[in-house]
Amino acid sequence: MTTIALQQVLHEQRSALLTAWITQVAALGDQHSVHEHALDALLRSLFDDILGILERQPTANPSLEHEESLALALRQLVGEQARHGSSASTCVNVVLTLKHLMSAQVVTATDVTLEDMLWLEQVFEQLTLLTVTAFLAIRERQITQQSLSLLELSTPVLRLWHRILLLPLVGVIDTVRARQITESLLEAIARYEARVTILDLTGVPVLDTSVAQHLMKTIDAARLLGTRVVMTGISPEGAQTLTKLGIRFADVISRATLRAGIAEALLLVGQQISPLEGKR
Amino acid sequence: MSESAAVAHIPLYQAADVVTARRAARELCEQLGFGKADQTRLATAVSELTRNVIQYANHGECVIENRSTTTQRCIWVLVQDHGAGIANLEQALTDGYSTSGGLGAGLPGTRRLVDQFHIETTPQGTCITIALVKPL
Repeated sequence: MTTIALQQVLHEQRSALLTAWITQVAALGDQHSVHEHALDALLRSLFDDILGILERQPTANPSLEHEESLALALRQLVGEQARHGSSASTCVNVVLTLKHLMSAQVVTATDVTLEDMLWLEQVFEQLTLLTVTAFLAIRERQITQQSLSLLELSTPVLRLWHRILLLPLVGVIDTVRARQITESLLEAIARYEARVTILDLTGVPVLDTSVAQHLMKTIDAARLLGTRVVMTGISPEGAQTLTKLGIRFADVISRATLRAGIAEALLLVGQQISPLEGKR
Repeated sequence: MSESAAVAHIPLYQAADVVTARRAARELCEQLGFGKADQTRLATAVSELTRNVIQYANHGECVIENRSTTTQRCIWVLVQDHGAGIANLEQALTDGYSTSGGLGAGLPGTRRLVDQFHIETTPQGTCITIALVKPL
């Protein structure tokens, strides 16, 4: 009963709609956007899928989640857009542009019913939802990847001198990072037969009981491997807070600055930094 | 000085929210002209309490409010959850007591860190309010 008029309009205007869409989408993006041919092909395949759905008998609640080919094309398109730094609104605009083009055509046709318009509306609502979901999923994955690479980067164990290791801690220390820190430190201690390890806390924003406990465990494990631990970089406020919390780092050598810590570490292995003139 | 009470509501659902909450606390502290030691004190206290929420109750919320008056600077923090509550409050406030293998310094330490500390716990949830107060 209903969709025949809609189908007819869409069918007649098919190539005009597609051309107009491709032109307008190209205008949406800047010169950095997706490579033209690749984009064209994606838009074409998406266009076919969307028309395929629109030509169906209207249902009360069109669900597009099981449209494999459509979802794939849409995900690809959004993925390309996201890779080139487009915003979520640009991605949604790609879909909405087609909707505007179609509505403009459908409205001018004589025998199009309200049901037709409603159907068009519903399908594009679902398409928009799908676009946003796809965009968010891609962002989510990017964030996870970034935090993973950050995790890898953020626990370097540096060999400061023969048998002296330096572990500069920066940022939030949660259970995952604490475990990683301990692992990489213990490995380095064993490899370099380190006698002293300097643990620099200058870059740790908050020293609370949870962080303190992680540190204590790391220190205890390091000790078992025969290294002395020198803690450095606890701020005056940090020291005050730690004592108020009732946390004691008993038998750990602690120095206010990294400089003092390095001097102490060198002393522990029987070395010192001295001016060149003295040796001449 | 600032009449408008700045309020921050932070929902607590995951470990990252602990960082958000303590950063908000530190920032408000700084805005109100508290010193660095006080900022660290409050940030640490908020960190302890919100971490407890995540660890023991799964989720809850944190409210940070400027309650300064004409005579004093005051920053007030509420941390609450709908977990199972603390079975033995007296023990939980004792140094070295922990049900989870922790240091057992979180609650008693926080109480020492802040100027005002109030705790209410029932099997339906726990509500803790703390405050830093400085006369102007």
